Amino acid sequence: MNTLAVIEHAGGEPDGAVLEVLSVAHSLARQSGGVVSAFVAGPLGSDVAGYLAGWGVDKACVAAGGVETYLPLYWAQLIADTARAENAVVVLLRANALGRDIAGRVAARLGGALAADCVGLSVVDGKVRLERPVFSGRVFVTAEFSGPGPLVATLRPNVFSAEMPDKPGAGRVVTLAAKVAQASGLRRNPEDCATVIATELARDTGKHLELSEATAIVAGGRGVGSAEGFRMILELAEVLGAAPGASRAAVDAGYAPHALQIGQSGKTVNPALYVACGISGSMQHLAGMRTSKCIVAINKDPGAPIFRFCDYGIVGDLFDVVPALIAQLDRTIWDGQRKMRCIVPLKERRRQ
Amino acid sequence: MRIAVCLKLVPASTSDIRVAPGGQSLLLAGVEMAVSLYDEYALETALCLREALPGSTIHALSIGGEECVKCLQHALALGVDSVLHIRAPGADSRAAAKLAAAALRLLELDLVLCGRQACDDDLWFFPGALGEALGWPHLSAVSSVAADGDKRAVECRRRFEGGEQFIHAPWPVVISCDRGPHEPRIPMLKGRLAAKKMPVPVKTTSELGIAAADLTPALAVLRYAPPAQRTPKKVFTCPPTDAAAELVRLLREEEKLI
Repeated sequence: MNTLAVIEHAGGEPDGAVLEVLSVAHSLARQSGGVVSAFVAGPLGSDVAGYLAGWGVDKACVAAGGVETYLPLYWAQLIADTARAENAVVVLLRANALGRDIAGRVAARLGGALAADCVGLSVVDGKVRLERPVFSGRVFVTAEFSGPGPLVATLRPNVFSAEMPDKPGAGRVVTLAAKVAQASGLRRNPEDCATVIATELARDTGKHLELSEATAIVAGGRGVGSAEGFRMILELAEVLGAAPGASRAAVDAGYAPHALQIGQSGKTVNPALYVACGISGSMQHLAGMRTSKCIVAINKDPGAPIFRFCDYGIVGDLFDVVPALIAQLDRTIWDGQRKMRCIVPLKERRRQ
Repeated sequence: MRIAVCLKLVPASTSDIRVAPGGQSLLLAGVEMAVSLYDEYALETALCLREALPGSTIHALSIGGEECVKCLQHALALGVDSVLHIRAPGADSRAAAKLAAAALRLLELDLVLCGRQACDDDLWFFPGALGEALGWPHLSAVSSVAADGDKRAVECRRRFEGGEQFIHAPWPVVISCDRGPHEPRIPMLKGRLAAKKMPVPVKTTSELGIAAADLTPALAVLRYAPPAQRTPKKVFTCPPTDAAAELVRLLREEEKLI
């Protein structure tokens, strides 16, 4: 069973989410005796072939044009064409803004099916078996796909382990057709039906880590009381090397921007560590974070629902508990040497 | 501008969804149903666009069994210009996109709005599949839409990891909506009562020229399961400094997370 991993990348060393996609692509192909291809969007550094081969890729199809440009139809067309050419039975993408945007289009174009936010993928009796959350994580469904067309799957981040295979892949590199590759920058591919143009990109100013694929998150709720109070959440996030997040109540009250909202009508996250501060734990909030590996709840109400969904809880006023935690972490992790505005992700710091 | 909004009826976000013994089905009888949250944002976006561009019309569409008349009555109560129920019980997102495209093609539309995901299957499939079926571009998870009637184009904002995109797209286009600047309005009682008396036109799948084979579910469900239950390992009620010290120790030594 041939697989196609979509590697979306902005340069430098691929991050954990990319490696998760590669690992799943390799594991499915290995289970069923297929070939692993990678569709590479954006520059991957000089030794693309060697790097991807190390992760089990037999053939890398490299497309010109940066991933920072918004060209969903362009990517969908290239990915669908590549999937056809490589005879891919499973096409894998990250469940991020770009992956979610184009996965449905690719699946429809190929006459296949889509499975979003998969938390399990395997091959059983020659069929693809997948597990994914439905009803905002209130139920998990196991389903089977047997065609027609390929299965396009987006993977929930931080679920699959990134394991480098014992044997490298063949690592051939193919540059995708010039007529398509010419459509770089913000210009569209003339053969594309797209007339959509991204006129501008506004990058967040890098004040803190991005939520969606974060391995650690500190979230504040209504309990933080004010935008001023939310700064404490930002500081705890900094000490931990975590991304800050917020509940809908905190966003609606204006303590934090909507970009930080976790839960229904916001983002779904799946970190290794989730610290909920002053969040009661409504069904809508749980929908966005309940699959986190370790959940810590801080709330002054011992009856708050969040205490039924956490691994560790501290009953207490967060204005006492959070500063105490910050002080303790400063001593334990940083030996009192923490530099302000530290935004090193938890995972990378552990590697150092 | 002529706007269509696709609405799906799903279990309310606060409802408890249980798995039947054996895991072969879900116990949905008696569960409160509501318009999918993001579809409500789509409807709100449509209503705002109609206010901004006088003369615009909104056409609401819902696909499913008899129950989805509720979505359309909600839309009628908020003053949409026409509604259509496509009767296709059990249609999945892929089938729904084919059915919607067949119906929407007849309406000479400028814009089709829907939610970024349906709050039941959480697939994020419908918008892209609909765009593909119509041969239009689609923009997904857009947080704000402004229309320029002279240029016949929309200006949209869309969040991505680490930033925001500003997008210019000429009509026609499919847009899936994320939470936007306006909260969905709630219909007045008078509007709700009036809506219940209005007729809801129905089309069947065969009337739309879609064969039964095109409506086969894309994925075969093997079983359902509730999410893994979590039992708190430790809940501290001691003074904050003691609790903080012990928690940090546990996260470091036991969980090896920090």
